[in-house]
Amino acid sequence: MKRFKSMMIGALTAVLALTAVGCSSSEQEQQVLNIYSWADNFDPEVIKDFEQKYNVKVNYDIYGSNEEMLAKIQAGASGYDLIQPSDYMVATMIQLGLLEELNKENIPNMKNIVSTFKTPPFDKENKYSLVYTWGITGIAYNKKYVKEAPTSWSDLWNEEYKGRVILLNDPREVMGMALIKNGYSNSTTNKEELEKSFADLKKMLPGVMAFDTDNIKQKMIAEEAWIGTVWSGDAAIINGQNPDVEYVIPKEGATIWADTLAIPKGAKHKDLAEKFINYLMDPEVSVKNYESIGYSNPNEQAYSLHSEEYRSNKMIFLDKADIDRAEWLVDVGDTLQEYDRYWTEMKSGR
Amino acid sequence: MLNKKPVKLLAVPALLWLGLLFVLPMLLIALLSFFKRGTYGQVVYEFTLNNYIRIWDPLYGQIFGDTLVVAILTTLLSIVCGYPLAYYISRLEKSSQQIWLLLVMIPFWINFLVRSYAWVIILRSQGVVNTILQSLGLITEPLPLLYNSGSVLLGMVYTLLPFMVLPIYVSLEQMDRRKLEAAYDLGATPWKAFWHVTLPMTKTGVVTGSILVFVSSIGMFVVPDVMGGAKSALIGNVIQNQFLSARDWPFGSALSIVLMLLSMLLILLYFRAVKAGEAKEGAA
Repeated sequence: MKRFKSMMIGALTAVLALTAVGCSSSEQEQQVLNIYSWADNFDPEVIKDFEQKYNVKVNYDIYGSNEEMLAKIQAGASGYDLIQPSDYMVATMIQLGLLEELNKENIPNMKNIVSTFKTPPFDKENKYSLVYTWGITGIAYNKKYVKEAPTSWSDLWNEEYKGRVILLNDPREVMGMALIKNGYSNSTTNKEELEKSFADLKKMLPGVMAFDTDNIKQKMIAEEAWIGTVWSGDAAIINGQNPDVEYVIPKEGATIWADTLAIPKGAKHKDLAEKFINYLMDPEVSVKNYESIGYSNPNEQAYSLHSEEYRSNKMIFLDKADIDRAEWLVDVGDTLQEYDRYWTEMKSGR
Repeated sequence: MLNKKPVKLLAVPALLWLGLLFVLPMLLIALLSFFKRGTYGQVVYEFTLNNYIRIWDPLYGQIFGDTLVVAILTTLLSIVCGYPLAYYISRLEKSSQQIWLLLVMIPFWINFLVRSYAWVIILRSQGVVNTILQSLGLITEPLPLLYNSGSVLLGMVYTLLPFMVLPIYVSLEQMDRRKLEAAYDLGATPWKAFWHVTLPMTKTGVVTGSILVFVSSIGMFVVPDVMGGAKSALIGNVIQNQFLSARDWPFGSALSIVLMLLSMLLILLYFRAVKAGEAKEGAA
């Protein structure tokens, strides 16, 4: 989702710049693939391999939020061939007519995707998008301070952790969590359900240390925060640097999210984009790619090829039962205004 | 002597720049604030006053109020911290003055975001300050120095202080020192001389500095996010949210327009008050 990995941008840009120089001699007959995506979302070597194998050039531009990407695509003539909207944004972009239908004949490897992601609610038949990275928002906690492993979202309300709770700085994620805790859908448009969950959330507010999305990892690693809502992939990274931090998906269920591969309307190199998508879904390529970026691989054929270390990491390889309990955030249309009103009220500290 | 026409031409690049990159976007924002948000966050080009009606929700009034309080406190604290510093610098020898002014400006060379995170490293529970205090045995539990209104204020004053110091320094430099000597000759104490001579003569610097600091702090959203833990939203954060997660550009535009009008009004009132003060002094 909204990952700012700006530190990696520099390194990646350097790599791509070098590749670009290396290829410039045969530019005329060479096809170009223009990617617009999150920072650090591909293994640079995988991109390089693709360039060499098909004698093409890949340009890689970066955005920091779905909304930033949406604004640029909406303005038209962006020149991009491949984008990576998150789940809810795919639904929005389909509604706004901003995505091309995928030509499935060009992507035979899409059969490798695990069945869970073949029918996501935001694009039920994978007509416009394919899941690329995914994760579940669960509870990360530091077992040095949180002695009893949390099992429920209500553990975030525990007075003992007052002032040490961290929440994602995202209205849909936080409201979604409170809704799930109260037994409702994370994307409800029912005003009473929203009101009740918000009243509940307000009780937790005095215990919240901070809202943070971009630097939540640092706050958990440095043990500033003891417990909080964290994406599974981020939890894996935190755990790699501070083994005291564990991760759990609460019994009430949780929000699942995905960043996808999609082609914006009017893309000039649609075929090439599809070729690249197919390449990424080759089992062996995907193993290399996902072990490098450290996120969950949705490729079923690749599971057995992954290293023991990657496979045994339960923050990357989530239980099927957990995935089944998780719920997608879907666009709530005009009700988003209500979510935002509650969010603003919560942030106003009243 | 220069004749007038070429001199006028000198302003053309700046005017073009401002016209294209400031006035035009401003007009677009004003226009946008009268349209509707579509169900999927797109802008629907139908006239409405709804965005302005929504602002009357007391919630937004309170946030405007909070923002004003923070901006005014930031400005006052900047004067309290900035004036003595500017005064000190203006009394140094020319060569040391340059070094001090350089020191005041050096933070500008470093990215604003990076500087804010530096404060996080200093103030967080396992940060520099808490670690030192704990190892000295002065405290047992780390102090909650971050993510509260105090740390937001600290971040704001820290960020905006140079905007106060520099104009005050300039006006202190331009001041006619002989008037101060005259005051002393007439038997004024240092404090009296400062109050009746130096301060009134450097008022322009204080006014300029105040406006720069005030205007910058009223739209600030990075400091409350990074140093305040995004817990107490200022109006800048609310506006930012409208353009991102809420995807409500028309409402965000309306809030921006109101914020702009409000700061213009306050600056006008401020100028009036300063002028009235001057008139009173002249009469006395």
